Amino acid sequence: MPALSMVYLNNAALGWPTAPGVAEAVQAWLTDPPEERGRTAAAHEDVAGEARRRLSKMLGASDPERIIFTLNATQSLNIAILGLNLPPGSLAITTVTEHNSVLRPLERLRAERGIRVKIVGFDSTGALDEDEFRKGLSDGPRLVVLNHASNVTGRVNDVGPLFLAAKAAGASTLLDASQTAGLIPVDAAGLHADLVAFPGHKGLHGPTGTGCLYVAPGIELDQFIVGGTGTRSDLARHPEEMPLRLEAGTANGAGLAGLAAALGWCEHHGGEAREEVARLGDRLRSGLRQIPRVRVFGLAGSQGGATGVVSFGIEGLDAGQAGYILRESFGIVCRTGLHCAPLIHRAIGSSPSGTIRFSASAFNTSQEIDEAIAAVEQVSRCVS
Amino acid sequence: MRVVESRKLEDCFDGSSVHWYRFDCPWTQAGILELKSLGKIEYFADFPRPFFRLRTDRGMFVQGICGEHTCRVILPREGNHEVRRDWESVFSSREPADKTFD
Repeated sequence: MPALSMVYLNNAALGWPTAPGVAEAVQAWLTDPPEERGRTAAAHEDVAGEARRRLSKMLGASDPERIIFTLNATQSLNIAILGLNLPPGSLAITTVTEHNSVLRPLERLRAERGIRVKIVGFDSTGALDEDEFRKGLSDGPRLVVLNHASNVTGRVNDVGPLFLAAKAAGASTLLDASQTAGLIPVDAAGLHADLVAFPGHKGLHGPTGTGCLYVAPGIELDQFIVGGTGTRSDLARHPEEMPLRLEAGTANGAGLAGLAAALGWCEHHGGEAREEVARLGDRLRSGLRQIPRVRVFGLAGSQGGATGVVSFGIEGLDAGQAGYILRESFGIVCRTGLHCAPLIHRAIGSSPSGTIRFSASAFNTSQEIDEAIAAVEQVSRCVS
Repeated sequence: MRVVESRKLEDCFDGSSVHWYRFDCPWTQAGILELKSLGKIEYFADFPRPFFRLRTDRGMFVQGICGEHTCRVILPREGNHEVRRDWESVFSSREPADKTFD
């Protein structure tokens, strides 16, 4: 059997490789003597504190203590959506492009608390239907949840004006930055986001098991977990001050050490990395568009190259079958199916089997992108 | 060629009809072409690692790579227990790896 080199194009799910320095930081955490880094105030001053400070800088937030650590973006979004304690009958607005990490918590609130959920679609240009969105705002929503970029098409949403209008209508605003953190500047205040959720393991190229939630001053979330904090142990109740209010138990120290290293790398190389991802994404998109029988699911006017995510289909070939061939026969690691965002597929015409998704990172090369395009060309020419 | 292991695979959908099989020896071109008795077999020898797929009249779909010990099988929604049993019986009657596919 011939050896096959791998081209990794599944960064929208899991950024690989981790940023330089991440593995070393994780290893050091796991192997260095632990006596100086117990679950004490000192622990907050090392890797957790460093990661919080760097995240705060990345988000343009003034107070690092408003950032809490979670396992992933899904947990961050759950804490935010379920923790806002929306009253029965209140309205939440979101979009067809959202991930199940948003849709399912909202569905749970709908079923259990009678929350009304309005799901906004696209307009004829492929952008979020602003007329429908603004009409929803007139009903006085308590929560608006938008992704910064679709994990299916890579389209970047112009969320700032939408969130500004949502806040004027009295809503709290939650940004799902899962596909943009580390790739596109995420300025929480500039985007009028009260809450920002994202993982450490995608565009930031940190370890899995790390996620973040930024909670703007003035936003209070229900405590979802209480217990040991290593400080204020004399209190009967869990502390109220951030970040302890939303964190309890021993932290994922190894993961946070890796995340801090990843954030350090991003601070120094993030600008070049962003440009490279945009360039590779554009190369992918334009290359795939040249192939007969291939349909790229970019919405009109999409700026999707900026996240490196490109979804496509091959005429006559099921997405799952195509993904198997690309991975097993050509060594192109990609993702196929619904990508946990079930509602967008009807809107973009990729129902029922979903799309084949390539997602590049700054660690890919032009040669790898060209190999992937050539593989798709060969598959589309030979297999139907 | 004998089945060593099989399991259900999870995918975006309910996953109940997708199975993964591992055999005691790798697929060879000869072994792949023997599957033609089950349905329509296609073999893509020019791919970096030759790919094959099989579609049967009973709605079963098989994908695999020549040289690999594994394959992916999608069973029909209806009557999949019988289809699966028949698929596995093909390998219980095949000769062990060292006799047929070397």
